[in-house]
Amino acid sequence: MVRLSRVMLKEAGLAIDKTLSEILVCPLSKQPLRVCENTKSLVSDTIGVSFPIKDGIPCLVPKDGKILEEDGDASKAS
Amino acid sequence: MYGRIGSLKRVLEKPRKQSHTLLPFLSFSTEDGSGYGGGGESQQQNSSSRVKIFDRDLKRVHRDRAAWLSRNKNDTFVDAVAENLLDRLEDCKKSFPSALCLGGSLGAVQRLLRARGGIEKLIMMDTSHDMIKSCRDAAQHDVSLGNSSIDTSYLVGDEEFLPIKESSVDLIISSLGLHWTNDLPGSMIQCKLALKPDGLFLAAILGGETLKELRIACTLAHMEREGGISPRLSPLAQVRDAGNLLTRAGFSLPGVDVDEYVVKYKSALDLIEHLRAMGETNALLQRNKILNRETALATAAIYDSMFATEDGTIPATFQVIYMTGWREHASHPQAKRRGSATVSFTDIHKQFGGQ
Repeated sequence: MVRLSRVMLKEAGLAIDKTLSEILVCPLSKQPLRVCENTKSLVSDTIGVSFPIKDGIPCLVPKDGKILEEDGDASKAS
Repeated sequence: MYGRIGSLKRVLEKPRKQSHTLLPFLSFSTEDGSGYGGGGESQQQNSSSRVKIFDRDLKRVHRDRAAWLSRNKNDTFVDAVAENLLDRLEDCKKSFPSALCLGGSLGAVQRLLRARGGIEKLIMMDTSHDMIKSCRDAAQHDVSLGNSSIDTSYLVGDEEFLPIKESSVDLIISSLGLHWTNDLPGSMIQCKLALKPDGLFLAAILGGETLKELRIACTLAHMEREGGISPRLSPLAQVRDAGNLLTRAGFSLPGVDVDEYVVKYKSALDLIEHLRAMGETNALLQRNKILNRETALATAAIYDSMFATEDGTIPATFQVIYMTGWREHASHPQAKRRGSATVSFTDIHKQFGGQ
């Protein structure tokens, strides 16, 4: 249990591992994603949707995505 | 098999909804998308151009459940399929530094990989967060024992919307997952695009002969008890379709082969338990959400009386279709253009074949 929680903590600090950041794209538009450290999410700028990262696992199912508000949220996310 | 999860979710959803809206019923009926039991119809209207056969959200819930049911348990059938699929890697001279493993029996693939195919980076993807997490826990346990050295990443994603950059992986493995996609050709095209040139696509799907005994028993029991039938088992691909699918997706050097496994169970209920643990229960959009207890028991009885073997066990057939295909590359053998031959077959026959 102790070992597990340590791993979780490590991964929570670094949002996403290197292999994934190289190959992940937006599932809908297939355009590159941007990692947002503040909200712990992956943002697809072309369609304005953010995908959450839960426990260091990015969730890129279209249904998990949240549509960002035009101005407010987009600037907050960047 | 049963729509029980759907109704459970709804009950859970209700109090939360009521807490912040004054019109619970109105919101309940309009907000169809998040209720797993009835989310289907509204989705169907939203994208009427695409045929929806399976309820992908329900499948996700099934896989969440399967993650808990199959935890710390090895399934011989699933392992046999994964082993057969991974065995093909040993036949390839090429090595595959980066590999993507799609839904289905992820855990078995990860466990049985054992450094085959020269994989250095492995990406595990599934629609269920719980399933991915249970894979990660199992892998961490393995690492602590010093068994595995593959750099593994985890990702929740949908095979119908593959979030992988074009030409970025060398190998895609999908073991018993793709038969639940609504748009199988579309998913396979996305897989092909995600592969690097000369990358390999390896998939195992359940074929049309799967669970034929249960199909017969279900139909008979429904006719007898309810006077009509409703779909309880999904339509599955036939062997002849598999080759066409690979060609249509644009894979070169396509290969298809079929294996039949007969699994023996103590009773029909054990079979259903096994299907649940694999996450292979009914997720048809047009399924009948109520299964009568009487009908269920009649199904079990018919199954038993029609198919039981001498030792009292009941067999269930699983037909697995294995598909292999490569992304096109200049090094692959190419067929010459039609009519470009300069030598007649009659001459060749005279030269070499003449008895």
